[in-house]
Amino acid sequence: MDGHSSHYGREIRVAWAITVKDMRTYYTKPPSLMFGILFPFSLFLSFSIGTKAPLTTQIPILISQTLFFASSSIGPVVIPTERANQTFDRFLTSPVSLLSILIGKTLAGIIYGAGISVIPVLVGVAFFGSQITNLGILFACFVLSSLAFSALGILFASIPGQTPGQVMMPLNFVRIPLLFISGVYIPIRELPALMQVVSMLSPLTHTVELAKYATGGETFFGPILNITILTMYAVTFLFMGIRFHIMNQRKE
Amino acid sequence: MDNAVEAIGLTKYYGNLLAVDHINFEVKKGEIFGFLGPNGAGKTTTIRMLTGISIPTEGTAIIMGYDIRHQPIEAKEQMGIVPDISNVYNELSAWDNLIFTGKLYDMPKAYRESRAVELLKLFGLYERRKEKVQGFSRGMKRRICIAMALMNRSSILFLDEPTSGLDVQSVLIIRDMIRKLNQQGLTIFLTTHNLEEASQMCDRVAIINHGRIAAIDAPEKLKRTVESLQSVEVAFATLPSDALKELEELPNISEVVKEGDKFRLFTDDPSSVLTSIWKYAENNNLKLITVNTLGPSLEDVFVKLTGIRPATAEEELEKTGRSKVQGTAQRRAEQ
Repeated sequence: MDGHSSHYGREIRVAWAITVKDMRTYYTKPPSLMFGILFPFSLFLSFSIGTKAPLTTQIPILISQTLFFASSSIGPVVIPTERANQTFDRFLTSPVSLLSILIGKTLAGIIYGAGISVIPVLVGVAFFGSQITNLGILFACFVLSSLAFSALGILFASIPGQTPGQVMMPLNFVRIPLLFISGVYIPIRELPALMQVVSMLSPLTHTVELAKYATGGETFFGPILNITILTMYAVTFLFMGIRFHIMNQRKE
Repeated sequence: MDNAVEAIGLTKYYGNLLAVDHINFEVKKGEIFGFLGPNGAGKTTTIRMLTGISIPTEGTAIIMGYDIRHQPIEAKEQMGIVPDISNVYNELSAWDNLIFTGKLYDMPKAYRESRAVELLKLFGLYERRKEKVQGFSRGMKRRICIAMALMNRSSILFLDEPTSGLDVQSVLIIRDMIRKLNQQGLTIFLTTHNLEEASQMCDRVAIINHGRIAAIDAPEKLKRTVESLQSVEVAFATLPSDALKELEELPNISEVVKEGDKFRLFTDDPSSVLTSIWKYAENNNLKLITVNTLGPSLEDVFVKLTGIRPATAEEELEKTGRSKVQGTAQRRAEQ
């Protein structure tokens, strides 16, 4: 039992060391800033300028987009860069499991995404009269969404590439279409029935729904289903990411 | 358990390409083991499998008694790795690079800090420990990389081309360091293109070619397997224009290679060739400035065993525009 607990303790300490190193090294790198901050804010501004909806209803959209883009950008910046510099090999030759390495990197994405997404919450509350009506749901939204999207980034970072662009491009092929079916630009209630089913399959839908619900809005699918589906995606992305990185090790 | 490394049927396929073909070898504890081979022979693939970066398609390796496939954590605790490029974190300081490595090995704080101080002083980098590594020279980055590999007081150190592309001073520092570490009991697994370095430093060498072990033995024993490649090296004060052709016509000479300002005459009878050279110099009124008889070098063994292809050598000669006579390495290989 002691052996097991010391083993797990060691894995957690090493995973955290990887997280802290990634935070120090990659948070201010241009690709992280561009894809993680500029991109969602620019998308939001271009959308919000053309809409007549009140700003308080748009704050949840900004929170969701920021969680989505910022959390999923760290893995695709960090892993290809480390692959190019062969610093990723340092982890593979260290006495730590691949799971802990990827959890460390996922955690770096979670902290980045959740940390940046706090800004629109604070701005909304301080300057635009937004109200947090359900803090627990907002917390669940932040934790589950940043986990699922960070794991999505780690999953895409298993694509063999040595520059962030080589991973960001296929990732954006997935991220950008999701904006159109996830209640970001068009409310789910206004979508045709078939598209509502498709919308339910998008993880971003559930982030948007939870963010709206936490700020006094309505949800189409309900917070229980939102939380369940986001949890399923988080686990699935993490599991697939690990499998794909192991496949890479077999191929390399 | 006398072996630090045991490769057991180690095999790697890349798709249909067989990169490493069921190789078996042992590295004894406390020895410097050289791993040589031409580019693409399977050196780096082998080292990547031994260190757990890449998973073998078949076979396994035992590192200090631990199976790298089934006990990877325990096996990795025993090793330090210096890859072919200095994979340091350029954004971090020298100090932070070492401390982070200590964290990866879960070393306690006080221990990792004292070890970092010790290694930075050992490698002459303590005064610059707070500087970001991106400003360091290539040789300094190499030293940091080796220091990182030594943080966990490993039992075996894997070094992939440790002196490649470095200035003379850095090369000497690193070679001296490797010898000292080995004297302290550390097993060294060294891949290098520098055959002279391997000959000088290694207790045993393995030569890998086309993914298979072509030979494995002590350098001097390997040299004795190609005794037919004896030669006489000669240099004249002034160089006659037809010297190459005339030297080739001397008796008992199988081949003449021009090496810089010297000629190397391959023969199985060096004494008769020496006599012929004296006569040739006297008849042509030439002053000899160097005459050496040479045994086969590790390079000769390497060329013979790897059989460098004539087409490749010809291409190289055409690229450099040098005499075709120089491209005779492959002919030696065929002897």
